[in-house]
Amino acid sequence: MSKILRVSVAALAVTSMLALSGCGRSDAAPEEDTSAAPVAEGKASGDITVWAMGTEGEKLGAFAEAFSEENPDATVTVTAIPWDAAHDKIATAIAADQTPDVSMVGTTWMGEFASTGALDPTPDSISPDTFFPGAWGTTVVNDVAYGMPWYVETRVLYTNTAAAEKAGVSPSPTTWDELKTSTAAMQAAGAKYGITLQAGQQGAWQTLMPFVWQAGGDIMDADGKLTLDSPEFVDALAYYQSFFTDGIAPVDVPVGTLESSLISGEFGSMVSGPWHIGILEEQGYADFTLAPLPKGEKLASFIGGSNLAVFKNAENRDAAWKFIEWLSQADTQAAWYEATSDLPSVPAAWESGTLASDPQLKIFGTQLETAVAPPSIPNWEQIATVIDTELEKVTRSGLDPQEAATAIQQQAEAIGTGL
Amino acid sequence: MATTILPKSPAPAHQPARGAGPAVRRSTPLRRRRSIAAWGFAAPFVLLFLVFTAWPVISSLLMSVTDIKSRDLRDPFNVNFVGIDNFAAVLRDPLFWQAARNTGYFVIVGVPLVMFVSLMIAIALNTGITRLSGFFRVGYFMPVVTSIVAVAVVWRFLLKDDTGIINVALGWFGIDGPNWLGDPNWSMPAIILMAVWRSMGTLIVIFLAGLQGVPASLHEAAALDGANAMQRLRLITVPIMRPTLLFGAVLTGIGYLQLFEEPLVMTNGGGPLNSTMSVSLYIYRQFGFGNYGIASAMSYLLFLAIVLLTLLQFRLLSERDPRPRKKARTASPAASPTTAPEGSTR
Repeated sequence: MSKILRVSVAALAVTSMLALSGCGRSDAAPEEDTSAAPVAEGKASGDITVWAMGTEGEKLGAFAEAFSEENPDATVTVTAIPWDAAHDKIATAIAADQTPDVSMVGTTWMGEFASTGALDPTPDSISPDTFFPGAWGTTVVNDVAYGMPWYVETRVLYTNTAAAEKAGVSPSPTTWDELKTSTAAMQAAGAKYGITLQAGQQGAWQTLMPFVWQAGGDIMDADGKLTLDSPEFVDALAYYQSFFTDGIAPVDVPVGTLESSLISGEFGSMVSGPWHIGILEEQGYADFTLAPLPKGEKLASFIGGSNLAVFKNAENRDAAWKFIEWLSQADTQAAWYEATSDLPSVPAAWESGTLASDPQLKIFGTQLETAVAPPSIPNWEQIATVIDTELEKVTRSGLDPQEAATAIQQQAEAIGTGL
Repeated sequence: MATTILPKSPAPAHQPARGAGPAVRRSTPLRRRRSIAAWGFAAPFVLLFLVFTAWPVISSLLMSVTDIKSRDLRDPFNVNFVGIDNFAAVLRDPLFWQAARNTGYFVIVGVPLVMFVSLMIAIALNTGITRLSGFFRVGYFMPVVTSIVAVAVVWRFLLKDDTGIINVALGWFGIDGPNWLGDPNWSMPAIILMAVWRSMGTLIVIFLAGLQGVPASLHEAAALDGANAMQRLRLITVPIMRPTLLFGAVLTGIGYLQLFEEPLVMTNGGGPLNSTMSVSLYIYRQFGFGNYGIASAMSYLLFLAIVLLTLLQFRLLSERDPRPRKKARTASPAASPTTAPEGSTR
C-alpha cells in the first residue's frame, strides 16, 4: 500500500507543478472591446431572462407584463434572488458562463463585475443625460458605462419635529454649525441624544462620506489617485468625531431601537434614506421633518440604489437592451415608483404625479441633484471596510482624525483600486 | 455464534513456484471479482470524497500560492505564481493578528471551561440523578442541535444592556452589568459564554459514556479507605477517563479554533473594535472580497494552528508510561506504548 501511496503523492506533486507552471498572467492587457454594438431596430422578441433581488425581484415579473403588451413577441422571465446570496450567485454565473440576459446589480458591485469583462457596455440608445449625474456615475467603470441606473436612494436628515420645537431650533439646519448647535440644543431641552450617526461597523462610511463630500473632499481625484488623507477628509472626520466627544451622538445603538427612540424623542434626529418614511408611518408616526443634509463647503449626500446590467454572453441581447431602455422611460419609472416606492433615477419622472407634489419626496429630489456615488472600482468594498474600521476607532476610542486618515490612506493604497 | 464453514480459499490456478520467496499475492479470478465488488461498493464514496473534499483542499492549496482573485474565475490559469507572498502578506496584516489573538483568547478560556463544566455535569448526572437522566441528557443536548440563528436572537435579547435578563439578574446582586455586545472588553466573554452553553451537550454525552468505564467498585474501595470526593475524582476518575478527555479536548479544540457562527450572528462580523473577529470570520470576509489567494493562505495557516494544538493536546493528555517506581525485580517488560490510543473507550 505504501508504494501506491508514494506513487499517488508523486503524481499529485507533478500535476500541481504542471498546473502552476501553466499559470501566468499574460503581460499584454487584454484587448477589451469596450465599444458598444448598436441595438437592432424594431420590437423586442424572444425570451428575456432577468435576475432581480429583494422586493424588486418579487414585483418585476408582474410589472413587466406591460412590456409584453407593447412587444407581443417578447416574454420577460424574472427570477427572484435573495440579497445575501445574490453577489455570489452572479459571480458564480459569470465564472461558469451561465449568465442570464439581464441582472440587477448593486451599485457597489459594478466595479467588480465590470472588470471581469462579463458586462456589456451601454449602447447609444440609452443616453447619460436621462439620468441623475450621481446615478449615471455608478454605472461608469474605467470610463466605460455598463448597464443603466434603475432606481436610486439618497440620505437626508430626519428630525423629530416636536423635539426641535421644544428646543426652539429649526428642524432644517442648513450649515454644519447650525446642525451642531441645533442638535446640542435638542439635547439640552430633554432629548437623550441630539442626533444619531453610525459610529462604525458595516456601512458606516455611507454616513461619513457625505460630510467628506460636503467639505469638498473626495475618495479619488481626477487622475484616479486615492485622496483619503486630504485636509478635507480630516476636517470631516474631526467634525464627525465632535458629535461623539461632545456626547451629542450615541456610540452604541442597540439593534431595533432606532425607530422607537426617534419616535419617543430620545433621539432628536437621524440620517437615513427613503425607506424610513414607510417604516415610521407604519408605526403610526408622521411628525417628522425631512431636510437635505447641511452644507459644508457645498451640499452633498450619498447616492445608492441598483443598476440593471446586460451580460456580454446574453442570448437575447437586443431584446434585453430594449427592455432596459423601456424601464428607463419617465412614465415607466413613475409607475415603478407607485408599485414599489423605489425612487426613479430619471429626473423627468419627478416632474409629475406624487413625486412632484409630495413635499417629503421633494426633499429627496432636491438632495439627489447633489448626491455623489463612490467610485465604481473593483476593490471598493475592501476600502470601505477599512474606512468603517478606522471610523470606529475615531468615534469610540478618540483616535486623532489626522492619524486615522493617514491609516486609511495607507491601507487603501496597499489594497489598491483594482483597476 | 453461527457455524459457517468458510470455504477454503480455492486452489489457485497457479501454484506459487517453490522457492519463490514469501507468498506473492497473485490475482486469481475470485480475488479479482472480490476486488471489483469491493471497489464497486466503495466507488460512490470515493468519488464524492475526491470531488467534494480532496479536490477543494488541493485546489485551495494551489490557490494559496497564486494571486488569484474572484474575477479570474473565468480564466483560472491566467494568474501568477507568487510562492509564499500570500502567506507573508497575511502574517504582516495587523487585523489577522488581532483575529488570531481573539481566537486564541477564545480557545484558551473556552476549551478548559467547557471541559470542566461538562465533566462536572456528567459526573453529577452519572452519580446523582439516575431516574431522569434521559430527560437531562436531552435537555443539555438541545442547544447543540438548535439553529444558531434562533439561538442568537434569544441570546441578543438576554444580553441587552438595560433590559436583558442577565443584567437584571446581576442587578439583584448589586452588580452593574456591562453592555455585553457593545463593549470591546466584554463582547468576547459573552461569546465564550454562549459557545460553552451551546457545546456542553456533546461533551456531556461523551463524558457520560466514558464514565461508564470507571468501575464503581474502585470508588467504593477508595471511599472505604478514607478518600474524599475530590481525591477520588482526581486520582481515580480523571486518570481512567484520560482517553475520553483527550478525545473531548481534541474535538472541542478543533471546533473552537474554527469559531465562526457565534461572532457572525451575535455581533454581525467583527464586533465593537473588531474584538470578536475570529480567523474563520476574517477568512470568510476575504473570500467575500474576492481575494481567493490570500484567503486560502490564511486557511492553511489556520490548519497549521489546528495541527499544532492537537499535537499539544496529545502530548499533554495521552496515556503515558507509568513512572518507573522501582527497579524491575521480575523480567516483565515495563514498556508500554506512548502513542495515544485512538479515542478508545474501555
